[in-house]
Amino acid sequence: MSATMSIEAINEQLLRAIGVGVAVLSAADMRFVFRNDTFQEWFNSEEPQDTLAELFPDLDMGAFSAELKTNGRFTVEVKRKVKRRERIYAADFTLSDDTGGSMIIMVCQNVSRIRELESMIDSYSQMVERNTREIKREKEQVEKLLLNMMPRSVYEEFKTFGVVIPKLYDPVSVLMLDFVGFTQMAASADPAVTVSELNDIYSAFDRIGEQYGCERIKTMGDAYITVAGLPDPTPDHARAVANAAIRFIRYLERRNEGHPNQWRCRIGITSGPVVGSVVGIQKYVYDIFGPAVNLASRLQDLSEAMEITTNGPVYDVLRDSFRFEYRGKQDVRGFDEQDIFQLKDSREPIR
Amino acid sequence: MAKQSLFEKYGGFSTVSKIVLDFYDVLLDSDDVGPFFDDIDMARLIDHQTKFIASLLGGPASYTDEQLHRLHERLNLENSHFDEVVETLSDTLKKHSFSADDVAAVRDALEQRRSAIVSNNVD
Repeated sequence: MSATMSIEAINEQLLRAIGVGVAVLSAADMRFVFRNDTFQEWFNSEEPQDTLAELFPDLDMGAFSAELKTNGRFTVEVKRKVKRRERIYAADFTLSDDTGGSMIIMVCQNVSRIRELESMIDSYSQMVERNTREIKREKEQVEKLLLNMMPRSVYEEFKTFGVVIPKLYDPVSVLMLDFVGFTQMAASADPAVTVSELNDIYSAFDRIGEQYGCERIKTMGDAYITVAGLPDPTPDHARAVANAAIRFIRYLERRNEGHPNQWRCRIGITSGPVVGSVVGIQKYVYDIFGPAVNLASRLQDLSEAMEITTNGPVYDVLRDSFRFEYRGKQDVRGFDEQDIFQLKDSREPIR
Repeated sequence: MAKQSLFEKYGGFSTVSKIVLDFYDVLLDSDDVGPFFDDIDMARLIDHQTKFIASLLGGPASYTDEQLHRLHERLNLENSHFDEVVETLSDTLKKHSFSADDVAAVRDALEQRRSAIVSNNVD
């Protein structure tokens, strides 16, 4: 650029070379009086394009003139396909005051990249949102699974601290149940049918137990263990397991009436202290330990099919509201001699 | 811990967005594969390519072969078109400093999809 160049000449040079499309229109007839290089490059065409209407046939000239007259400005986005590539330009028209409103300055920016990026962000956020929903769903499934394995309060503790401190619950009542001849049944019948029926029965037990405030601890093959008074202490723990035990048997009796496979259980219930904890590092399992668990298991062993066997502590608490049959003193492995009782369903006729 | 995906390794969406735009520029400019995009709306194409590249790099998107087939079947693509896209993508990834091993891994992943995308997959 020579030093002798006038300011006007420099301005015009800049205007021509700048990366913004600039044009000047005569307001009277909407003819172009000036177009810079960028503008020419963006909007070149074989067709005549001396007027705005020729260049942008889609433009609503009526609306354009009206808005320009009221606001002195007009903005519009125009699209051009350049070799199948969609170019988007934001065009801004201003009625020039300097020329007494006889000229319109038109400034165009290439916003293609911005629009492309916006589309990409839309696309990406859709993906991320979908993923977030999937993760949430997965999390809920994991939570559901863990809640099947441990009481909610224990799960909350596990979630917050990453560990569960073994906790003594005293007293609680434990119900142990197993099925008579299950091994034989599993071997002789179709194992898939047996397992599916067992699943039905356990699900029914879960529902019954829940109704009386029992917390299912675990199932192991044909053994089902549920407990009341844990994790939240309740004074009615013995009553809860007794009620559940009676309904378990009622449920099986009714089920056996309509099914070829006969399910006959033995139940032992007792009260006492237990320790509850999550055991295992990789494979978590919530379990309970303690004398009440062992004793309930022994009582279940002593039980006859479709009978509920219990001992002194449960009898003492429930003697006024449930029917019991005294079975005499019996030796129970690992414990002192015990008074053994059978808990009877009040619907059962008295022998 | 799960193995880090290429998507994460090379800087997540920030990098992938640049790869998609470069890839898009070159593809549209190509005289062989460009014409396939003649009548496709920009937003749709960008959406497709963002998800496509994200899924190839192990990002938060995935296309089943069934979906890919449905998206491409009416285009009547030839193996040569597919090859050009593979090359274009490889070049773009190299430009964005992907290691040779990682480019090869992406090419393998893409190659797995060939039969779903190419209509006339007979050499």
